[in-house]
Amino acid sequence: MSLTLSVDGDRWRRHLLATVTAHPGIVPVAKGNGYGLGLGRLARRAQWLADHAAETGAAVDTIAVGTYDEIGEAATRYSGDLLVLTPWRPFGAALDLDERTAARVVHTVSRPQDLAALRERDPRARFVLEQLTSMRRHGMTRRELATAAEELGRARSGLRGVAMHLPLNTTSHLGEVTRLINEVVASGLPTTTVFVSHLTASELARLATSYPDFTVRPRVGTDLWLGDRGALTVGATVLDVHQVERGDTFGYRGRSVPKSGHIVVVSGGTAHGIGLEAPTGDQSLKARAATLARGGMDAVGFVRSPFSIDGKQRLFAEPPHMQASMLFVPSGARVPRVGEDIDVRVRFTATDFDRVVVS
Amino acid sequence: MTTPLTLRPISPQEHRDFIAGRSSASFLQTPGWASVKAEWKAESLGWFRGGEIVGAALVLNRQLPRVKRYLAYLPEGPVIDWTGDDLEAWLRPMVAHLRKQGAFAVRMGPPVVTRRWSAEQVKAGIADESVRRLGDVPPLERSQVGARVIAQLHELGWQLQSAEGGFSAGQPQFNFQIPLVDDQGAPRTEADVLAGMNQLWRRNIKKADKSGVEVALGSREDLKAFHDLYVHTAERDHFTPRPLAYFQTMYDALAAEDADRIQLWLARHESDLVAATIAIRVGTHAWYSYGASSTEKRDVRGSNGVQWAMIRHALEAGAEVYDLRGITETLDADDPHVGLIQFKVGTGGEAVEHAGEWDLPLNRVIYKAFQVYLARRG
Repeated sequence: MSLTLSVDGDRWRRHLLATVTAHPGIVPVAKGNGYGLGLGRLARRAQWLADHAAETGAAVDTIAVGTYDEIGEAATRYSGDLLVLTPWRPFGAALDLDERTAARVVHTVSRPQDLAALRERDPRARFVLEQLTSMRRHGMTRRELATAAEELGRARSGLRGVAMHLPLNTTSHLGEVTRLINEVVASGLPTTTVFVSHLTASELARLATSYPDFTVRPRVGTDLWLGDRGALTVGATVLDVHQVERGDTFGYRGRSVPKSGHIVVVSGGTAHGIGLEAPTGDQSLKARAATLARGGMDAVGFVRSPFSIDGKQRLFAEPPHMQASMLFVPSGARVPRVGEDIDVRVRFTATDFDRVVVS
Repeated sequence: MTTPLTLRPISPQEHRDFIAGRSSASFLQTPGWASVKAEWKAESLGWFRGGEIVGAALVLNRQLPRVKRYLAYLPEGPVIDWTGDDLEAWLRPMVAHLRKQGAFAVRMGPPVVTRRWSAEQVKAGIADESVRRLGDVPPLERSQVGARVIAQLHELGWQLQSAEGGFSAGQPQFNFQIPLVDDQGAPRTEADVLAGMNQLWRRNIKKADKSGVEVALGSREDLKAFHDLYVHTAERDHFTPRPLAYFQTMYDALAAEDADRIQLWLARHESDLVAATIAIRVGTHAWYSYGASSTEKRDVRGSNGVQWAMIRHALEAGAEVYDLRGITETLDADDPHVGLIQFKVGTGGEAVEHAGEWDLPLNRVIYKAFQVYLARRG
């Protein structure tokens, strides 16, 4: 009766161990909806990875969460440090830290004035300084970094490293990372640890040889938790099947069926994120043409759905409901029986599953 | 508010006086070097704050074939304050001036160190099979000043001319230097410098002395003898020798600036010339510039003998650095360049990386054409 994410446990765990082994110094990212798997489950799994350090050679002493509000859910299941990716600001959830977890938190500081404010509130605060990258989201420029370095001085401080958030889809990050590390040297900051995301294995290897005196710590989310897609299957349960003839009316809006076939009612709707299209970020002409084509289908009849039966993607008979969707299966095709599970293609980061079953 | 910097052409004499008043500068930035590179149209530039000269540059202008446009080249220069965080204030008036003179691009080699490695580290790197390049070895130091220069050059639109692998056409980015002062800046003793060398070097220096090799300073007349041996070396080691006239011009030009700026050294064994070298010194910086050695009588170790004489002379003259000049970045034991590094590393000292050579294109079309031309020329 549910939208279910089934995980081939052995295969998934093997992939996790292999990924961590391939990335010593890895900082697993557990944020948002936990990549569909749930934040709590990822935190528990990070603890499991930390417990397997002898086997992988990667300590997993830190995980990254997205926001201060996510700390609680992770902190009870994972015992190491919690790096918060959203920059610290002198307002909001960052100021409501639980006493017991505060000492385990590593803040991200992206403005010089925030560094002073944070250290004033908590002189023992530990933090990374975020550098402004070509993304231009949060972060300090070279001169701001130098100002921060001056403020920190050579004395022991809570500085744990610098962090850079790189954009996706660029040909190579190496040029930018090289420039950013040079700026760390230029700033005089007393650190040689760099937290980075979105670098390929070969880019990380190149960095390790170019900066043998630096520690590069890769932040990995998608490639860790969802890196082996074959271990993950998403299924929706067929709840009902109705035979229809051309002209029959159905659904909330009383539409009529264009040709004979079956209306198949399946679990999974807007409450799960089904049918809500997140911007894909794909700006190619082909992608834009595809969007147009989908709109065109909408005008004459049915819209393509993420549900597929026997490998064939089916059309929505009408827009998805909150917890169920109605599909149209034309006559001639096999009709699934009630209780059967069919495949669904989803974006894991934008889907709330009813159940996650790890075998 | 500090007085803004201004820039204007200066006479060779003003240029010489400025360099003489500084602790050091690259010899490629002395006005005398202009006469060595006669095929380039040279100009001396000075930076002024108020009435006081605070920086200088030797610009070599190379004309493009058929076009009245120039590449303005400042080898190992300019001689300015590279330590601050306002390079733009220095470079802006220079670039404006050179643009007005018809430059399509400016090329310079900031004389700042970016990384250092000890002789021990370089040696260990060559021995380690997994290490292929100097950069693979954690450096002794990454210079904050050097990194700041590089960050600023990026910000100001300059482009690094990379020299992958061997030597590029420009000045070498990696050099080997023996510091002649200690960490506190006090002069080192001869014994201390000698103790820093490896056993082979010390043994060879002793051997040269015992075998009766006599090292002496030569005069301009001895350039011919140097050159004969240098041509012989070029044949043996497969490089293209420069003509005698090049060295004569260089000698005259540099000696005219300062009696001790250029020295010719000759190592003789029983009246046979076994090694000859040219050394240059500007202020506290001494360079080993050119060297030649005979194929006969290698066992008397004339090369080591003449190096030691040059180092002692540099120490005596109050030099703070003895510069053995370029090395390639390779630490691959199978690379033919590695022998040269091993020879230099045996002297102790350290490998230093400089910021490299940087271009600022002023006319993108001509600059692009120029790069294509260079690439074709190979």
